Amino acid sequence: MTQLLEKYPAEIEKILDKYPPDRKRSAVLPLLYIAQKEYGYCTPDAIREVAGIVGVEPTEVESVVGFYTLFYDHPVGEHVVQICNDLPCALRGSEQFLDHACKKLGLDKHKVEHGGQTTTDGSVTLESVVCLGACDKAPMMQIDLEYFERLSNEDFDRIIEEMLAKSNHG
Amino acid sequence: MADLINVYINEVLVSVPKGTVIVDAAKKLGVNIPVFCYHPKLKPVGMCRMCLVEVGRRKIDRATGQPLLDANNQPEIAWGLKLETGCTTPIEEGMQVRTQNEVVKKAQKDVLEFLLTSHPLDCPVCDKGGECPLQNLTLQFGPGTTRFDYNDKQHLDKHYPLGDIIFLDKERCIQCARCIRFQDEVADDRVLGFYERGRTMQIDTLSEPGFDSKFSGNTTDICPVGALTTRDFRFRARPWEMTHVPSICTHCAVGCNLTLGTRRSARDRQWEILRVMPRQNEDVNEIWICDKGRFGHHFTRSQARLTTPLVRKNGQLAEATWDEAIKLVAERLNVVYGHVVGFIGDRVSNEDAYLFGKLFREGVKTTRIANRPHVAGADLVQKYGVGSGTNLGALGKGTVVLIVAGDVEETAPVYMLRLRAAAQRGAKLIVANARETKMDRYAANSLRYKVGTETQLVYGLLNAVNQGSGIRDQVAAYTPAKVAEITGVPEAEITAAGKLIAEAKDLIVVFGDEQPYDIMVNGQYTDAGRALPQACANLVVATGHAGKANNGLLSLWPHNNTQGVFDMLAANGAQWTPADGLKALYIVGSDPIGEGQTLPKSEFTIVQELFLTETAKQADVVLPALSFAERDGTFTNAERRVQRYYKAIAPLGQARADWEIIRMVGEQLGLKWTHYLTSEGVMAEIAATVPQYSGTEYAALAQVTEAWPPVGSNDLYFGGTAYDNRGGVGVQIKSGVELDGQSEMNWIEPPVPSAESTLHVRQLNRHGTLIDQSAVYQPRLIDAPIEPAQVLKGA
Ligand code: SF4
Ligand code: SF4
Ligand code: FES
Ligand code: FES
Repeated sequence: MTQLLEKYPAEIEKILDKYPPDRKRSAVLPLLYIAQKEYGYCTPDAIREVAGIVGVEPTEVESVVGFYTLFYDHPVGEHVVQICNDLPCALRGSEQFLDHACKKLGLDKHKVEHGGQTTTDGSVTLESVVCLGACDKAPMMQIDLEYFERLSNEDFDRIIEEMLAKSNHG
Repeated sequence: MADLINVYINEVLVSVPKGTVIVDAAKKLGVNIPVFCYHPKLKPVGMCRMCLVEVGRRKIDRATGQPLLDANNQPEIAWGLKLETGCTTPIEEGMQVRTQNEVVKKAQKDVLEFLLTSHPLDCPVCDKGGECPLQNLTLQFGPGTTRFDYNDKQHLDKHYPLGDIIFLDKERCIQCARCIRFQDEVADDRVLGFYERGRTMQIDTLSEPGFDSKFSGNTTDICPVGALTTRDFRFRARPWEMTHVPSICTHCAVGCNLTLGTRRSARDRQWEILRVMPRQNEDVNEIWICDKGRFGHHFTRSQARLTTPLVRKNGQLAEATWDEAIKLVAERLNVVYGHVVGFIGDRVSNEDAYLFGKLFREGVKTTRIANRPHVAGADLVQKYGVGSGTNLGALGKGTVVLIVAGDVEETAPVYMLRLRAAAQRGAKLIVANARETKMDRYAANSLRYKVGTETQLVYGLLNAVNQGSGIRDQVAAYTPAKVAEITGVPEAEITAAGKLIAEAKDLIVVFGDEQPYDIMVNGQYTDAGRALPQACANLVVATGHAGKANNGLLSLWPHNNTQGVFDMLAANGAQWTPADGLKALYIVGSDPIGEGQTLPKSEFTIVQELFLTETAKQADVVLPALSFAERDGTFTNAERRVQRYYKAIAPLGQARADWEIIRMVGEQLGLKWTHYLTSEGVMAEIAATVPQYSGTEYAALAQVTEAWPPVGSNDLYFGGTAYDNRGGVGVQIKSGVELDGQSEMNWIEPPVPSAESTLHVRQLNRHGTLIDQSAVYQPRLIDAPIEPAQVLKGA
């Protein structure tokens, strides 16, 4: 299992260089990002490879993947849209915003609220999540790693359409 | 005692050492603050919140730094606004703790109510039921009812295999992380982890192989619920149906204390062992055992066991009566001309070996002999072994442990745990071996020498320490520079390790037999085989580390009673003169043919065994012996602690204890041996006549001491009804040098390896007659050395 190392030797070396040799395990998160970008999610083999690179047990890396919601242990859409539905956002109408998003993408809200759901063409996964720390700009969402704030239904449509157009799914 | 601190638990004063956490301080007073995630053998984490207590601290006058006093001249107490976790909070001088007021009770009820929101409460079919901390604490501290909706319970996998032997019931797990922490902090095998978080958090492994560490079974003991179960025991019995019998593990020389959970089966009315659990002995195994010890008990009830005496008739072994067999044996041993030779394995008890030696000394008329164990250096360990009072659990700063030519984890697994812990407490380990072993991880110095050059390395270290009066001339030649050349270990590392040894307050030298030389040829120890033990003995003598507690030699003996059998035979003056053309050969508990050796030619062969081994198949008479579980006796472990085990299950068929069979033979030969009615009687004689064994009468061996932490206490505070040590902690006998004060050094020229020298590698999970009987353990067993062949070869 050296696919990542073969494909991204420079990136991986750069990441590892940031940490002292006896603290290589600190590189787990950035390495997992590379893995997730490559395969769309953290596959068991990728987890094992990352574990091998930093010299820890695969189980330890698996725990990290399980802990952080931004790492996926199953295939997700090309883009992941997370709508915050925690209390401050809810007070500012995120519930209705989520309803709209589900309708727009043709997804089932119950499923979105319980682990997320992916559109049939595999372009978008929608999740309802807890506070993302931008309560003052509610309602808000995060697409992949980017924040979009103070959103209206129209904003949502526009942002999604632009995003899909860019990735040829429109 | 250093730094005692006074605290008040529910207004009762207790003085405990600095650094003690509140739950332990309370436990000292007999106050049980309920815990789940806390375990005294693991670092506190404060994860479960079960141990919340109200804590008050003295108010301090900022100006003077003195406690403020109230009108009655008592320190004023500031009670914390919030409850604190008793398992993570260290005590402070004058601290007040309330463990049972209304606030605390409410918190306890709440925590339990939360824990139970998704617990399946399937106690009626749970292995832990009856000794389950969750069950006990719920009854004692929990709410009687729940406000949560039953339908909201999570339904998860109840039979999730984490490895070959351990199953996880995901519903029962309360996420205390004891299992993860054990794997991490004790076993150093991080194959368990949490997956996900919050309510969906679960234990999982992604390692390959999964959870099959050498110590995995221990997690099932410390799991405070029935989430972890073993393939061996799950769903087989309730704890209260079993009889708990103290015993000793027979799979290696650590001599872990065990409790055998036995029951008489309703089906066939046979007694059987249902589970093996550790029995607490803080001087030996604390509360751990390895998986081989836990799952390797099935041979005691194997279908393949011998149940009647067999006598060869018309070329075939046929069933016979004891009377017939013993008469025949005595007749053939009672020869006037020629040799009679005895072989005895090193798994049998001290009583067996003693009587065997005595039979040859007193009963057999002709040139007689009993053979010694197939290891080198037992005489040196008898003399310079670790002094009485040695406790690996007490080693720390100032101690140096040199480990040479042995793989501690593979030969004496529990020593790995204890030496690793010693290193964490500040002891320095020097790990020298021709190949990498797990101990290297904890080593201050790892010395990797060329196969077969271990003895030279030891002399290099001695030379670097610059001592060794008796053999100064010879050692002088082994300068670190020269030894570096011979062994391939860099000179600087030899000097550095030598410096550690020179500065050591306490020194223990652990040696194994992972070297390429033949230890015995024609029944005589070879110089090549004896060179390393002698060098190690020279090192402890030369540096003044013989004959004291926590100092001296420790050998990684291959079997559970190597030392004891050696001692017993030596006490009877047993020795070996190579001979052929024997009149009779009497083999007890040993299978030389199965191990690839040849037997000397003999007119008549007697084999006393559990199984029809390759050797037994060649015999003229086969006498069926009892396993350790069906009789009582004693073993002497590698630290020379004599330990007693007890009869746990009824004998199989007509088999008898080895010592008893030997007694029958002796009586038939006309010896007046009627006073050996019990094994206790034999041991009484050993204690009275073998100087090193004085004080090892059964009553002395059965003494128990109060153990801390009290994991086996009757209140089931930490669960596990089997930890309780009711069988005795044993007696560590004195080393020879403690008795006579005489020590000497001897020179044996270090052997020189050839390119063909192949390292003799020990592995715990190699196939063997006894362990092969455990179906549950089969996936772990291996045939061949794991190491790549080139590592094992000489220069
Ligand atoms: S399996 Fe047992 S020991 Fe491990 S976290 Fe769950 S309850 Fe604790
Ligand atoms: S370490 Fe040795 S004595 Fe202890 S359980 Fe394992 S095999 Fe038995
Ligand atoms: S509640 Fe939505 S960002 Fe904090
Ligand atoms: S938090 Fe103290 S025992 Fe778990």
